[in-house]
Amino acid sequence: MSDTVIVAGVFVISYGMIIAYSVYLHLRRRRAATRS
Amino acid sequence: MTRIRVLFGVAAAAMAVGLWFALTAPPDALQGEYSRIINVHVPSLWLAFLAFGVTALGSIMWLWKKKQRWDRLASASAEVGVLFTGIGLFTGMVWGQAVWGRAWDWGDPRLTSTAVMFFVYLGYIALRNAVDDPVVKARRSAILGVVAVVQVPLVYFSVNLFRTLHQTQSIRPDGSTMPAEMLVAMLVNVAAFTILYVALMAARTDIARIEEANRETELLAGDAVKPPKLSEVGDV
Repeated sequence: MSDTVIVAGVFVISYGMIIAYSVYLHLRRRRAATRS
Repeated sequence: MTRIRVLFGVAAAAMAVGLWFALTAPPDALQGEYSRIINVHVPSLWLAFLAFGVTALGSIMWLWKKKQRWDRLASASAEVGVLFTGIGLFTGMVWGQAVWGRAWDWGDPRLTSTAVMFFVYLGYIALRNAVDDPVVKARRSAILGVVAVVQVPLVYFSVNLFRTLHQTQSIRPDGSTMPAEMLVAMLVNVAAFTILYVALMAARTDIARIEEANRETELLAGDAVKPPKLSEVGDV
């Protein structure tokens, strides 16, 4: 596997984790607001 | 909610600028493309240190003032810190595999102390989930939040105290060991990640505030609809 592909994968996974956490916060906040 | 959306918009723009700097900075002569990982690795661990410092601050303030908002700040920051410690460990392992020939070494104090810090703050989150009473939860986690922060300087200075596999800091009081273009790219990403931290914290503390209000409402409603015990009923 080329170096560029591995480094690209590191960026995709890292940014993906940040995006996933942001989406999780958004959904959790929406659920909490619905119950209030 | 609008404030949080604006913060996330600013954070997304800052992260996009940071990504552009990371991908256009010149690669290192020896490490090649792998040197770009520094633009995620260092900002992530900077955020982890910042987050755990804020957790300690919130914990101290809760122990002093006993105001719920300090507990919200501390717990939210610990959660964000764990996320970024995880990203820092992951990026470091891939980078280590490429340039050291091994992803992990338990004999390296920086790697091991970072892993310990990660698991201690995972324990902090587990502790909070294990206790129902909000005051007991806040007190216990505040004590852990104050004690656990001693790891931050230990992790940071571990590369100076014990010289093994991990390199020493690239930015020192007497200057930087990095070329200007790479340093600028890294600092832009540090700034972008810091803005992201503010947005994530705003969202996370807001969730905690709403959930606390919901919990109080549910407790009140629960009391209102709770059927009386037979012993409390006179003539039936």
